Amino acid sequence: MRRELSYGATALKKRATVKLIAWSVPEILPTAVYGIAVARATDSFLGGHAWQGIAWLGGLVATACLGSAGARQVYGRLGELVEPVRDDLVRRVVGGALRSGDDGAVARLNRQVEIVRDTFAGLVLVLRSFAVTLFGVLTGLLSLAPIVAAFVVPPFLVGFALSLAVLGMAADRVRASLTADEDLAASAGMVFGGVRDVTAAGTEEYAEWLVGQPIEAHASAERALAKVAALRTLCFAVGGWLPLLILLAAGPWLVGRGVSTGTLLGGLTYVLIGLQPALNTVMNALGDSGLRYVITLGRILDASTRVERPRRIDELKGYQVRLRGLTFAYGPKADPVLDKLELTIPEGEHLAVVGPSGIGKSTLAGLMCGMLRPTGGRLLLGGSPPTEVTVDRLARTRVLIPQEAYVFTGTVRDNLNYLLPDATDDQLEQAVHTVGAAKLIDQIGGLYAEVKPGELSAGEKQLIALVRAYLSPAPLVVLDEATCFLDPEAERQAEEAFAKRDGTLIVIAHRISSALRARRILVLDGNQATLGTHASLMRTSRLYRDLHGSWTPSAQIQPAS
Amino acid sequence: MITFGEVAKRGRGWLPLIGFNALIGSGVTLALPTILGRSVDAIVAGSGYTRWLIVAAALIGLGIAASIVDAFAGAACVAETTAWLRHRLVRHVVRGGPEGTRDFETGDLVTRVSANATDAAQAGPAAVTAIAAIAPPVGSLVLLAIIDPWLAAAFFGGVLLVVLVLWTFAKRTADISLNYQETQGRIAALLSESLTGIRTITAAGTTEREEGRILGLLPELHRHGVVTWRILARSGAQAAVVGPLVLVAVLAVGGLQLVSGRITAGELFAASQYAVLGAGLGNLTGVLGELARAKAGVHRSAEVIAIESIPHGTLTIPAGPGQLSFDGVSVIADGNVLLDNVNLDLPGGVTVAVVGPSGAGKSVLAAVAARLRDPSTGQVSLDGVPLQAVSRHTLRSAVGCAFERPQLVGRTVGEAIDPHAVSPVRTLAAARATHAHDFVSRLPDGYFTSLRKAPMSGGERQRLGLARAWSARRLLVLDDATSSLDTATERQITRTLTEDRHHRTRLIVTHRPATAARADLVIWLDHGQIRAIAPHADLWHNPSYRDIFG
Repeated sequence: MRRELSYGATALKKRATVKLIAWSVPEILPTAVYGIAVARATDSFLGGHAWQGIAWLGGLVATACLGSAGARQVYGRLGELVEPVRDDLVRRVVGGALRSGDDGAVARLNRQVEIVRDTFAGLVLVLRSFAVTLFGVLTGLLSLAPIVAAFVVPPFLVGFALSLAVLGMAADRVRASLTADEDLAASAGMVFGGVRDVTAAGTEEYAEWLVGQPIEAHASAERALAKVAALRTLCFAVGGWLPLLILLAAGPWLVGRGVSTGTLLGGLTYVLIGLQPALNTVMNALGDSGLRYVITLGRILDASTRVERPRRIDELKGYQVRLRGLTFAYGPKADPVLDKLELTIPEGEHLAVVGPSGIGKSTLAGLMCGMLRPTGGRLLLGGSPPTEVTVDRLARTRVLIPQEAYVFTGTVRDNLNYLLPDATDDQLEQAVHTVGAAKLIDQIGGLYAEVKPGELSAGEKQLIALVRAYLSPAPLVVLDEATCFLDPEAERQAEEAFAKRDGTLIVIAHRISSALRARRILVLDGNQATLGTHASLMRTSRLYRDLHGSWTPSAQIQPAS
Repeated sequence: MITFGEVAKRGRGWLPLIGFNALIGSGVTLALPTILGRSVDAIVAGSGYTRWLIVAAALIGLGIAASIVDAFAGAACVAETTAWLRHRLVRHVVRGGPEGTRDFETGDLVTRVSANATDAAQAGPAAVTAIAAIAPPVGSLVLLAIIDPWLAAAFFGGVLLVVLVLWTFAKRTADISLNYQETQGRIAALLSESLTGIRTITAAGTTEREEGRILGLLPELHRHGVVTWRILARSGAQAAVVGPLVLVAVLAVGGLQLVSGRITAGELFAASQYAVLGAGLGNLTGVLGELARAKAGVHRSAEVIAIESIPHGTLTIPAGPGQLSFDGVSVIADGNVLLDNVNLDLPGGVTVAVVGPSGAGKSVLAAVAARLRDPSTGQVSLDGVPLQAVSRHTLRSAVGCAFERPQLVGRTVGEAIDPHAVSPVRTLAAARATHAHDFVSRLPDGYFTSLRKAPMSGGERQRLGLARAWSARRLLVLDDATSSLDTATERQITRTLTEDRHHRTRLIVTHRPATAARADLVIWLDHGQIRAIAPHADLWHNPSYRDIFG
């Protein structure tokens, strides 16, 4: 909670805050003058000076106009405070999302940032007007009769302090309620999206229970909040009603000390029209907006605070890849995906990695490219662990093209020269031609046409990503099923283009034909690996034969050698 | 069906309490200005003030007590009603089955259960408080008139003044918030676009470049945002001018009456308070708005409650090999004939492939066989018992169904396979048979890995979907359920399937000729009709059969 509050406090350290406070002065006037005007007017009317009374009331309207001008400026300045906060939050969400790849960020960007924007503005406004009202009422009371202020202000402050204490109690319950609400949406989404599956599995009771849990959690959090609401009302009684009763009880004594009827009425007016609404508003705002602000902002800050490990190595000796006892598991309790893998990929090698889906081929690609850290053993790229190499140096040494090709809204050129920003048009044209994307680029409308990613098929996107990678200055190319949506012929042309390119080519194969084109083949099976050529693997690996499609019922009874 | 009254009645225990308290609250609010005024008059007069003070104190105490009870009862009533309604909604969705919920989007159903149910639960309290909320402003005006008719006239004069001011101030508000939301949407779109290529971006080290590209729109958002505040500033300024107008009007007229001695100082005070309360008439729109929201919520809930549950019989299936028969089965939806008079008699324990061009009715046939939808006419029986006559429990332990795109339901991967697993043995056996165990054991927490935190490929989902259906005792329906698997894994699973020790009947919708070749029989569907039932080898000579496989 401290982090969120200090975030808000830092956001207020601005010139706009000073202006906001300055413009609050005219805005206070009506509130401050209210009681005085009522008191003086009443006394004037009582004294028979009708026009004098009317004049006091006219003064009230005049100050209201002044206050209006103040209010106008106050909202304007509020924008100057709130908009930078929103900008900062958007920057954090976007930055955090791009570093973590968290899909939830898109929802955060729209909903959570707006919640913080609204609640922050609301809080600034309410807290300011609370302070303003308090200040106005205090000056008004003091100018009417200081002794009245002495009766009214202390119980009011006690009530306010009490309600702040209650607020702390409410925080956890509000958080529980919000969490239950989100859980409900998540599990309802899961179950309602899978009604067919629930019916087929006959797990209706379980599905109802699954959604029922957060429903009950939400209800009990709300019931707990009901008790807090009752307590809050009690605090309001202390802060809002007690001053009134005290003033009434002390009335005769005050009148005896020369306080006029008008002054007494003025005091009552201040309590009823000034203090009570102010207390009510500030309590509601803190209890609702305040807690939502803290909780939502906390979520955003949690998701966007990431510590990146420093990468220090900036010099590599070539781009040979060496795996020594390489082991990787997704968790301390999980079975390893890769277990003590030994492999050397010399510069200029053309290697295909094959194996059933989900066997760890992409994990291997991620490890070689420095995107995952081995949990055991060593992996060296050009003599250094790639996770220690600066992002820049890595990008100039190896290029990874994943299955899900990235094409963004922009010109074809922007998309193609992504990894080589100063590529000439000739270079681009040549790469397009070699990889086999010429027809596609013509279709889109040439290098300077706009690409709309939504209108491209998965295969077309892959072609663009392949041209981009082809242009990369990196000598080590890793194709991670990067051609899976291309037809076999297009796949052949693209792969051959990369094979002819200088440097190493590692193909995580989707089709067995990719393996046939490679010099060496690595077969991953469970957490075992076999390295060989097509001919040797056909003899030694049953899995490779299976993948190759030579499996026949008669082959099934042959012992696997 | 469910009505507003039914939802309102749900808060039975609470409603009288809420109503009673609301009445007390209104009464106190109305009486207090008069009592306070009298107290002031008594203080000025110097006699009888103790009595008025006690009355005022008692009244305030009563009001406080009422509002404390009200704060608790209102929230508790809504909490309970919400939970009750939500449970009912969930039950109707779940029991409605795929056919019952066909017309609803998943997101829409979630909104109905999460947001609309809360609105609907307000029905009781909103109705009660609406009645109670009318009392203070209306009563205030009456009391104002009782103190002095001119005061009431001044009140309406003031209101007229307010309307006049608002009217002169009123300017057209631009569609500025729309622009703001639109820019926001474009930023979000750019971000999700970049997230689709997160692996490329991370590998290329272009995170900062992407950040710059997305945030390029931020200044525009900032500009639109600033304008929204300008509009707020305008309406804030209006409110500040308009606020005291009614009160000043009443005080001015009241003051003149005071000068002429027709009312007392206390009455003037009371009048000023009634003027403030009377202005609360404008807030009634808020109360009515809440009522309208509750009504809309009830309506949205009622549409879900109207979903009919799938009826099930009570019979069990006698021992048998899993013999599946279709007797004149037709399925017609929205005037389209999906299955046309299908007659089948499949011996138990065989593997049957279902093939045909897309739109031939393969999935409908599979759904009817697994009783995920009922035929419009005709009947499907398993070992001689019509599926509709079988009890739900018997049916689901006899028939399993796996899909092309399974939706996994559960908190953990293990629960998604079998939520009722008494021992992990069955889950493990199913996972091993469908080759799901290989990748599940590599997840951070194995079978206890949270489903939400385990992103899975299509093939991995399919394997879990298969494992879920694996425990079926007599009939296994696979609706294109291995299409995303690589050839090696698919081959291994089919091997397990063909060597099935349980001798279940297997109905396999497929696009792959190899799968059809390994089946004992092939059902060739075309336009909802059976074109042939024969082994694959016999059909392969037919060119139009070969065309199905491309």
